[in-house]
This record gives sequence, structure tokens and C-alpha cells, in this order.
Amino acid sequence: MFLAIRELIYAKFRYVLISLIMVLIALLIFIISGLAQGLSADNASAIQHLQADYIVMDSDAELDMAKSSIPPEIKRKTAEMDGVDNVTPLSIRMMNASVNDTDQSTDIALFVTEADGMLMPSVNEGDTVKRDHGVIADASLKKEGVKIGDKLAFSEVSAYTVTGFTDNQRYSHTPVVYADGGESQDVNVLALKADETNIDDIKHELEGSYDVVTTKKALQGIPSYSQEQASLNMMITFMFVIAAFVLASFFYVITLQKRDQFGVLKALGAKTLYLIKNVVGQVVLITFLCTAIAGGLTMVTAVLLPEDMPFLLTVGEMLQTSILILVVSIVGSLVSLFQIVKIDPIEAIEGAGK
Amino acid sequence: MTLVMENVSKVYKDGPKEFKALDHASLEVKSGEFIAIIGPSGSGKSTMLSIAGALLAPTSGKVLLDGEDVAELSAQKITRQRLRKIGFVFQAANLIPYLKVEDQLQVINVIAKNKGESKSSELLKHFGLDHRTANYPSELSGGERQRVAIARALINDPKLILADEPTASLDSKRGREVVEMLADEIKNREKAGIMVTHDERVLDMCDRVVKIRDGRLKK
Repeated sequence: MFLAIRELIYAKFRYVLISLIMVLIALLIFIISGLAQGLSADNASAIQHLQADYIVMDSDAELDMAKSSIPPEIKRKTAEMDGVDNVTPLSIRMMNASVNDTDQSTDIALFVTEADGMLMPSVNEGDTVKRDHGVIADASLKKEGVKIGDKLAFSEVSAYTVTGFTDNQRYSHTPVVYADGGESQDVNVLALKADETNIDDIKHELEGSYDVVTTKKALQGIPSYSQEQASLNMMITFMFVIAAFVLASFFYVITLQKRDQFGVLKALGAKTLYLIKNVVGQVVLITFLCTAIAGGLTMVTAVLLPEDMPFLLTVGEMLQTSILILVVSIVGSLVSLFQIVKIDPIEAIEGAGK
Repeated sequence: MTLVMENVSKVYKDGPKEFKALDHASLEVKSGEFIAIIGPSGSGKSTMLSIAGALLAPTSGKVLLDGEDVAELSAQKITRQRLRKIGFVFQAANLIPYLKVEDQLQVINVIAKNKGESKSSELLKHFGLDHRTANYPSELSGGERQRVAIARALINDPKLILADEPTASLDSKRGREVVEMLADEIKNREKAGIMVTHDERVLDMCDRVVKIRDGRLKK
């Protein structure tokens, strides 16, 4: 690192310029990742946090849970299978609810399940659903002005009272409201807790008309979920490719420019490995500083973003992304390293070796 | 003998044609001896210097550096020999532009994993550069740059000093000073020295002058 650091200090301007570009690229990667995570949570956190391992649904529904339909006998049949710990019915209705019989209305996703079943989320404010027509709502509904005790009325005769709030329960970009359906409800899907070793048997027994999928797989069926994620992930992938190419071409050109110096250093007895270490050291140092700065800027951005903008980025995910950026940068510097290997120390002697 | 070159030839193939850059050249240099190789451009003097400096392998012939046959060494060992036994003074000094004068010497210590910091400041003082230690090469005069290059060549206490046209970028007064300095160091420190040049005005400071023409040496 003797040479690496001294060169960075000497040629500040060019390295500050490349660092600026790297900071912007890393910042964009972080922000798009945050948006992807945020949108994913906004669209599907209710399913991501569902207290179940598998979902049983109608094969004709093609993973769209709201389109699936499960008759009561299938529920009974599934409950009796080996390895099944728990079967809880769930139906999903996208609704428009009016608040307290006023003109104010809001879109919600109504999740109807058993009041004492495993799917009912725990509340962090208010009470669980004990009585008929009580519901637990996602805390995001509070932004619409809904409080505990408020009445949510749907287009039909049914009206519910909000008894408590829970967190991280959104579906299809709307807040989820959990209600008790008892036994008589139409059931869209069955949520399953089952032993992993038995799952192939369970799948096999239901084969033909019903699919058993993991909750993760079920996310794909949420309207627009995969499309949103795919387009954002494509952008992120592109940013990684761009980062690799920007660094690769920058260091390639710099290395070409320094050919003579590398020749002299090799003639003086520097090992190729030593020179490579210095260039990789520069790449790692620059990338590390740039991702750190970009990370800080991302946190500032997250605070400045409007509150209803879905943005979610944990420190762990940021670290993971940073490591990936670092790896991509090192891969990008490989072209320059080949260049260094190829330089012949004889180039230090004018007019020789031609 | 510090350097022995015995019947050394270097042949380059250019399609069907062969070009003899060096033709059965023999040369011996002992410590304390300063030899000049002169010849017109294209005569093979750079090839001669490159082979003497273990930068180029001869097509045939034998090169003994400090008693060791260079041809028998691995590429890694050759690099180490260059580092430990040979000091290079290149044309136009060839200093590393982003290193300050003291670091120009220090980098050799870093590469060689020496702990010789005191020696580098001693050398710089010896060459009258102690007020320039924190300057970059671009801030030095041509003569000062060559002095740094000579100091850099000496830092590892090599047995052989090879100078490639050290006066090329200097006027005659500065050129003389640099060669004088080189000659003094080679005498006083008991090094073997070879200088390639086409500057005939500095030849009087060398112990021996070897002429080279079309790859052949004439004493």
C-alpha cells in the first residue's frame, strides 16, 4: 500500500472524480434496493409475515390467492394428513370501507380467518379480536385517521369495529384488516404448518386440483408483485454492471498511463504481485470509502423521502450490497491486473527489447 | 569478477530474417571498475545493458552475476537478484512521479523489505539533496533528478551499477557532474559500473571504453 496511498494523495483530482461517480452509483444502488424492499413490503408484508409455512390453493388460480377457492372437505382432508400441525383457512377480499358512516372511504384488504387461529397477528395497540365484528387493522390505516373503536363499513351490510392495530401487514399496497370468519366463510386458501419431511406426501395427495406452495412462492401470485420486483432488480443489476465497467475502464486507462512506471519498478526489482496488491488496494480503498459515503447519504435520503414513499433498507441488507459492490469492483479491476502482469521490465531501458 | 559475459549473442527473428542485436560479445567488469559502452543508436548497446541487468535473456552465451549463472535462476530469483545486486540509473532518471524524493529511495526499502530509513537520509545528504526530500520529481531540476536516481541505485548497496544514457537529458556541465558523481561512487564504494552512452565528452572519467557496432564489441 506504500505506492497506492501516495499515488492517491498525489493524483487527488482524478481519484476524487472517479470516487464521485462511484458514490453516485452506490447511492443509486442503495436507493433502488430500498425502494424494491419497500415496495415488496408494501405489497406483500402480510404474506411475508404470515405465520405459516405453506399455502394450499386451487390450481386454477395460478398462485393468485384471491382467485382460489377451497371447499370445506379439502380443509378436513388436509388437517388429517401426516405431518400437518395446523391448518387455518384464509380468505382475502379487496374492499372499500367507509369510516364511521361518513363519506370518507378507504381501500383495505380484508383477511378473514379464525379469531383464535395461527394467522391472527398479535396486536401492539388495543385488543385482539374477541367478539364478532371486531377487527385488527394494520397501523398504516391510522394515517387515514382511523382510531380504535372506529367503525369500518363495507358496501354490504356488514360493519366492523377496529379493536386493535398491528404492524407490517400490507397486501397489494393496501392496509390489511383481519376479521373473524368463523366456520361458515368462503375460503380462498389454507395456511399450513407442516413438517418439511412430509410435505412431498401432502403435495402428492392434493395433486391435480390443489397446489401446495411455500409462502415465499405465494408472493409471486400477488398482483404486480413479481413485475415490480423484476423491474427494480433489473435496474440494480444494471447498476452493478455499470459500476464494474466504470471502475474497469478507469483503472485500465490509468494502468496504461502508468506503463513506464510499472516497467521501472519491475526493473528495480518489484514483484508483479506487489504491484497488483497496490492497484487492488486502491480499488478496495476507493470502493470502501465510496460505499461508506453512499451508505451515509442513503440514510439521509431515507429520512428526507416523503413518508408514504415505500422505502425499507436494513443495515444488514446495506452491508450485503456493499460487499457485492466491492466484489464487483475487484472483478472490474482484473483487466488492469492482466495489463500489469504483461508489462516487461525491459521497457525501462530505452530502445531495448524491440 | 562482479559481471562476466561470455560469448553472449542475442538474435531477434523478424519473419524469415534474423537480426543479431548482439554477436558473441564478451565483457568482464570487476568491482571498482567503471566501463563505458559507446556506439551509435541501434548498435546493440541497450541490448547489452539489458542482458547485463538480467532484464533480457541472451539467445546464447553465459552471464555470471556475482559468480552466479543468471540462466539457471527462476524468474522470481532473477527479480530478487536485480533488487539486491543491481542498481539501475535510467535515461531521464525515470523517477516515480507521485513519490517525494525521500520516498523514491524508501520504495526500494519497502520492496526489499529493508529497514533502512536512516541510510536513505544519509544518501540524500551525501548527494546534497537533503533540502529536497519533500519535493516531487516535477519540482526538481534535471541534474537533481539524476542525483536522486543515483541515490536510488545505491540504496540497496548493489554490486553492479548500470546506467542507461544518464546524461541524455542534461546539458554538458550537468552531464559531467552526474557522470563524475557516478564514477566517484563506483570507485569509493567498490561497485562495478557499466554506463551506456553516446556522449563522448564524459568518457575520460571511465576506466575503460568499449565500442559497439552492429552487435560486436571492440575494445
